Amino acid sequence: MTKRSRLTRVVGVLALLAALAFLAGCGGGGNKSSSGSSGGSSNSGKTYPVLRVIWDAPDYMDPQLYYTVAAYQINNYVWSGLLGYKHAAGPAGAQLVPYLAESMPKISADGKDLKFTLRKNLHYSNGAAVKASDFKYSIERAFKMDSPGVGFFSAISGVSGANGFATTKKGHITGIITNDANRTIELKLDHPEGDILYILALEFAHVVPSGTPASDQSTHPIPSTGPYMVQSYQPNRGFTLVRNPHYNNQIPTEPSGNPDKVVGTIITDPVAAYQRVVSDKADYDFQPVPNDRLPEAQSKYKDQLRIYTNANTYYYALNNAIPPFNNINARKAVQMAIDPQAIISGVYGGLGRPTENFLPPGYPQYKKIDAWHFDLAKAKQLVQQSGTAGQTVDVYGPNEDPSKANTEYLAGQLTKIGYKPKLHLLSHAVYFQTIGNQATKAQAMFTDWYQDYPHPIDWFDTLLNGNRIAKIHNNNVGNVNVPSVNKEIEALKKITTLTPDVNNRWAKVDSDLMAKYATTVPYMNRSSTDFFGSKVDMSCYTFSVVLYWDWGLSCMK
Amino acid sequence: MATESTTDFTLDTAAALAAAEDEGAIEGKSPWYLAWRRLRRNYVALAFLFVFVAIVVLCLCAPLYAHHVAHTGPNTGHLGETFTRDGQQVPIVSKGGFQNGQFHAGGIPVGPQLWHAGGKYVLGADNQGRDVAVRLLYGGLNSLAIGIGSAVICTFFAMVFALLAGYYGGKTDWIISRFFDLIWAFPVLLLAIALGTALSINGFHHFGINIKSGSLWIPTLVISYVLIPYIGRPLRGQILSLREKEFIEAANSQGASSLRVMFSELLPNIASSILVFFTLIIANNILTEAGLSFLGAGVQPPSPSWGTMIADGQDRIATAPWLAIIPGIMIVLTVLSLNVFGDGLRDALDPRAKVRMEH
Repeated sequence: MTKRSRLTRVVGVLALLAALAFLAGCGGGGNKSSSGSSGGSSNSGKTYPVLRVIWDAPDYMDPQLYYTVAAYQINNYVWSGLLGYKHAAGPAGAQLVPYLAESMPKISADGKDLKFTLRKNLHYSNGAAVKASDFKYSIERAFKMDSPGVGFFSAISGVSGANGFATTKKGHITGIITNDANRTIELKLDHPEGDILYILALEFAHVVPSGTPASDQSTHPIPSTGPYMVQSYQPNRGFTLVRNPHYNNQIPTEPSGNPDKVVGTIITDPVAAYQRVVSDKADYDFQPVPNDRLPEAQSKYKDQLRIYTNANTYYYALNNAIPPFNNINARKAVQMAIDPQAIISGVYGGLGRPTENFLPPGYPQYKKIDAWHFDLAKAKQLVQQSGTAGQTVDVYGPNEDPSKANTEYLAGQLTKIGYKPKLHLLSHAVYFQTIGNQATKAQAMFTDWYQDYPHPIDWFDTLLNGNRIAKIHNNNVGNVNVPSVNKEIEALKKITTLTPDVNNRWAKVDSDLMAKYATTVPYMNRSSTDFFGSKVDMSCYTFSVVLYWDWGLSCMK
Repeated sequence: MATESTTDFTLDTAAALAAAEDEGAIEGKSPWYLAWRRLRRNYVALAFLFVFVAIVVLCLCAPLYAHHVAHTGPNTGHLGETFTRDGQQVPIVSKGGFQNGQFHAGGIPVGPQLWHAGGKYVLGADNQGRDVAVRLLYGGLNSLAIGIGSAVICTFFAMVFALLAGYYGGKTDWIISRFFDLIWAFPVLLLAIALGTALSINGFHHFGINIKSGSLWIPTLVISYVLIPYIGRPLRGQILSLREKEFIEAANSQGASSLRVMFSELLPNIASSILVFFTLIIANNILTEAGLSFLGAGVQPPSPSWGTMIADGQDRIATAPWLAIIPGIMIVLTVLSLNVFGDGLRDALDPRAKVRMEH
């Protein structure tokens, strides 16, 4: 698996905190089927002509390729998958609902066979009919384009192995069986995957017409299935979305949206973006309000500002495989040398919540860890006990603020407890691939993670499973490798139903890795802002766990 | 003393005249003395020289100030800590976050305290809680070390290349001139950014030379390298002109070696230009260093320089303007003082010269 996260953009939700409702949502991802009537609505009678937004630059405008929130948030009303998320505020937004599928799938008892049926009379924005085989074509297209999301599909039969489609890219994926006449899609898996339904809701599994070229089509908009279609896209300049003329509420679980048109202007400088909205030249600022302007925004534009904390964790990765942090006392010392509140105040202007958990609050598997307290004297003592005092530590971080300032803080604290840190600040473009390369031998690193989908597998298996340590493109940058925990993660991965007992086991994984073995130093769930122009009616503001600010439900005064 | 002739001109008269002439002989003045005489009458240039010297002395006092006055190092962060002002504990960086569900913006560092906090945070703190005054002085040390160091290296190599190219001419001149052209083909700042960025990641480990990433030698050498033609070319032009003069022909005809001609005859004649160039290029190098550090290709964090301090402060310009303004003022003062003094020095050394740093 790879990741959408590690973005400059913070997205998320405060409302994740309502864990029970979320539990219901995750439970829906199990082996039961349900009707597809939840969550959707046609437009609410609050339609308006145009929504003008300031946006960040999307990486692509092609569903098999895009992986940034900037692309995801705007395009979730454009292309659709078999499943999607309910458009609802708060934890209800984490609930999977059928989109192109007429209902949740029928899953076999062994969890290795999933059967979907497409809704009737589905059409693309160009009027062509949506076929079951288009789904198979879309997944194969992702592989042919070396999409960043192909790792998610590794459990589908015929994908992995020397002769698998991922390697050969020839023939077809044998584990996807479609029937256009009956509108059925059958997925066969090599082994049960606890998060397979969430994976099918990812953008990489969104359906495009068979025959769409297997190359980036960002500037040649692909016909869409959702309520909107891309009318134009000029990289680094802007985009325009208009209503899909053939939508006809064909996905009843997805709202048809209020704005008739969305005009996006790409501005990557947060100060300039903020100014555009302040001067009412735009209705929404995608960029976080700069720390410098937050006091002003809070006092002068309080009604237009929303602050949220979504499912993310900022943490310092310590290389558990090499000295000094292969010593547990050295790792515990770092835990005690870090003051989360100081980082949140000084570096992020207060936009964050302290944490010691790896899993963000709001997950039903979350159980608050309270193991560490900021104590420099004790941290120094632990460093002395570990026998690692005076060692050089190569500290890595991005070279742009606030991550740069954050990494400088880490280096400063390491100095205070007796190490000799050497700071390496790299461009964001190469940062994660550099620390993900074992040859770098990074010892302490800034890093963060934003959920791909709301399931603990996306956190512990992707980032902290010792069995998945790789030489390059290593997501487990701290080389965390606790055999007993690895075994538990492997066992939990196969369980498709998140019962309270299973949730407790995931919580123990969190506690073992963060408190017992002190493998990693999580310190913050970062918050961010949604800032609106004065014409926007804030009573329509809807923030969902997965979809972020739901612009389709926005309305004007 | 004038002697009025009232009698016929005799040998005695001639002897008396000669004696009188000896008494009133004009003392020979060296060009350096004449230059100094002109310079000391240029009060503006001298005033700015004083400003520059004062800045250098202040920066040299950085360790003393940090240890005895501010009681903190240039890279020591104090996030989450407080200090005492008028008997009260004040957070160095204002606290922010969520309290009772309400968000409070924070992260604003304390402003200049002057002497209200016993010498701490005289010029305020940055967002890591570091003392701006301490960083300013250490940053000045780094900026001046790079500026002066790179000026020395750059001027030395430019002088050597100019002497070789100008004196030997022919293939030597062609090769050196093409080397100058090669560097000159790139915009100086872009070339410096490219080199600085590449070297700041892994350092330089070739030809038996090992410079670690983060070393001040990297911006020093990068700036030296990219500016060599800007001194080398005009000096080469002067040497080409001097080479044709009679005193060079005389030296050659007396059998002087090439090295002797270059260093005993040519070099003294371009010394005044080198001195002026050297002064002006220090200012230029300090500006280049600030630009490189601002863009992350010069001095590497957490080490301070005036350029990195401006970069750190730019995101806080609305709530903590001193973070960018104070180092900016220091750069302006230093560069202005060097430029005004350099112009005065040029006027003093050769009032007819038109030496200009142009690029």
